[in-house]
Amino acid sequence: MTTASALPRTPEPLDVFRSRLRDFLTGHGPGRRPRDPEERFAWTRAWQATLFDHGFAGPSWPEEYGGMDLPFAHQVVYQEELARARVPGPVGTGLGIAAPTIIKYGTDEQRRRWLPSMLRGDTVWAQGYSEPEAGSDLPGLRTTARRDGDTYVVNGQKVWTSHAARADVFFTLVRTGTRASRQRGITYLVVDAHAPGVDVRPLRDLTGGHLFAEVFFDDVRVPVADRVGEENGGWPLVRTSLGHERAAGAMNQAATYRRVLGELRQLLAERGALEDTEVRDRMADFEIRARIMHYNGQRTISDILTHGEPGPVSSVSRLHISQFEQDIHEFAVDVLGPAGLLGPGSEEAVQRGRWLYGFLRTRASTIGAGTAEIQRNTLAEQVLGLPRDPGMPSV
Amino acid sequence: MSLSLGEEQEELRLLVRTFLDDKATSHRPPPPGTGPQKYDGGLWRQLSGQLGLTGLAVPERFGGAGLGPAELGVVLEEMGRALFPSPFFATAVLAGQTVTHCGDEAAMERWLPDIVSGALTATLATAEPDGSWAADPPATVADRGRDGWVLSGTKTYVVDGHTADLLLVTARCPDGVGLFGVPATAPGLTRTVLDALDPTRPLARIRLGATPASRIGTGDASESLAAVRDLVRAALAAEQVGGAAACLDMAVGHAKTREQFGRPIGSFQAIKHKCAQLLVEVECARSAARFAGSVVGSPGTEAAIAAAVARSYCSEAFTHAAKENIQIHGGIGFTWEHRAHLYLRRAKSSELLFGTPREERARLARLTMSEGAAP
Repeated sequence: MTTASALPRTPEPLDVFRSRLRDFLTGHGPGRRPRDPEERFAWTRAWQATLFDHGFAGPSWPEEYGGMDLPFAHQVVYQEELARARVPGPVGTGLGIAAPTIIKYGTDEQRRRWLPSMLRGDTVWAQGYSEPEAGSDLPGLRTTARRDGDTYVVNGQKVWTSHAARADVFFTLVRTGTRASRQRGITYLVVDAHAPGVDVRPLRDLTGGHLFAEVFFDDVRVPVADRVGEENGGWPLVRTSLGHERAAGAMNQAATYRRVLGELRQLLAERGALEDTEVRDRMADFEIRARIMHYNGQRTISDILTHGEPGPVSSVSRLHISQFEQDIHEFAVDVLGPAGLLGPGSEEAVQRGRWLYGFLRTRASTIGAGTAEIQRNTLAEQVLGLPRDPGMPSV
Repeated sequence: MSLSLGEEQEELRLLVRTFLDDKATSHRPPPPGTGPQKYDGGLWRQLSGQLGLTGLAVPERFGGAGLGPAELGVVLEEMGRALFPSPFFATAVLAGQTVTHCGDEAAMERWLPDIVSGALTATLATAEPDGSWAADPPATVADRGRDGWVLSGTKTYVVDGHTADLLLVTARCPDGVGLFGVPATAPGLTRTVLDALDPTRPLARIRLGATPASRIGTGDASESLAAVRDLVRAALAAEQVGGAAACLDMAVGHAKTREQFGRPIGSFQAIKHKCAQLLVEVECARSAARFAGSVVGSPGTEAAIAAAVARSYCSEAFTHAAKENIQIHGGIGFTWEHRAHLYLRRAKSSELLFGTPREERARLARLTMSEGAAP
């Protein structure tokens, strides 16, 4: 968001910015990641506050809401340095998904009220889009919001809501039009998670943990002032992104997987498994795919800097990454053999069962935030221009 | 480092695309059993002397443009897309880059201006009957006779070996691997076209029987040849990206227009998902080839790593795209007249020549998994 600054200013030279950030990360780093989930949550949240308090939060955000308003090239450096320092990402999904929508389409009052506390980690935001009957077919969602004076009365059920148990706020899509209106009758509503009538029921995911929950709304009253955009105008706001911050974030992900691969290589070397020709061949293949992840990120950034747009490679990165993360975890478990089957409850477990957990967890990589099948449909139709399935409702 | 095409590279790409669209896309597969496709001498003169493509990565003092592997990659991607039959790869990449990086001024002076003008076609003959591209040490031997060096042995899988005017040959010398220039007309040299899969990239066997040759450079040439091999890998990877992208374009074009069950077959998810997967692979391949093109030619292991990454990935991506293109075309894709099989032939040919994906991965493993290799 460079438009927010009234006066043009000279950006800090990249290397100066990098060393200033690196000094900060060295001096104030969050330390070791706690194992206990509760402690880990508190630790992550405290780190987010530290970033905010020192002016190192929200690289792409306007300064008036606590952000840094960095030029794109600086955002890339920011992500590289954060990845290098191995600091945790933000809590909840607000920063990545809700904030761009609010920054672009919220009122001034909403931005002031919501954004700084979200950025500091004081309020945790969780997404309420999917429903039991509306997964890939999101425009078919059924949770209703009935207008009653200056409030909406919300009824319905959301599901697969990550971080729901710790959420203070749900950013949701609700139906304000008729059922048949599909995406033309959807409104973007921000719901207080602590309001009467909100019931969060944790779901056990297939790893045995609580990555997500069901959220029930029973006559929940939401002020009209907490609606973002127009009534029935929520659908176009859903995929808002802020400049090209995701392209910068992709570099962070690529760095993470280079590191994961390095850790697996070290583990296999210790166990003597790298002598095996087949294992070496597979590991070299992961090396190739991890490096390409990095090149893809770099190419996207080059495209943005050269042409102002991310170009075609940005659209395929997610599928490449999700295939990679599933494959590498499964491969690790396979190479470990029977020892790969053990979880942290057994002392013989290899690295406390992290690869086994990853194998299970990454089943979600091709399901959450749009299944791989839906992503392929989107690529085929929007990038390659293949015709829509005539049996599908138009979106 | 930028992995986007700059303005001048984009102009170069358009120039080559337009040239190939105008001149070279109407060619049909030669009838089966008639051997390799002949290249068009007129087109060759245009693209070398007129457009300056053979001199793109040749130093300016020899009449070239003095550009590098990135620009070479731009040209190769377009040629791969058009499946353009010409001695470009052998002359400008294999031989041109070998001479450019051989460190022998006299050799450069002798051959590069003619490569630039298009007057000379050339190739590099390193592989031997065991199939290894590096062939280090070569079984072909060089002996110092009374009138200079003579070579004896067999080189094979030599790209354009039956038509090239000049052959650059590696042979075992008392002081290591020697590099030699041998005119195709030299005594004792016989060449035979191989019955190879890809008619657009002919291969030949070269027999040398006490054939006189001129030595290029002095001492062991292994190191400079290794650097050239990485340049070749990056160029070939770019060509493979072009081939894969052409297969995807053909498949998508067919899926948009071919109707079955009263609708375009591209509206079925089974076809969409195949095409989308190819798009993922084509774009990843392009990233890998661009990155390799931006680092090869500079010292250090990063160039070797990037070249191995690009060759392994681009080889598999191209072959996959070529196979899926035939599948999406159905029956028509299985006919000789349709060009789809030419891409499959080129894909498999470029996958197995100059280092298979498995060999590239083994090389990459050596480069990245040895003790102390940075993660």
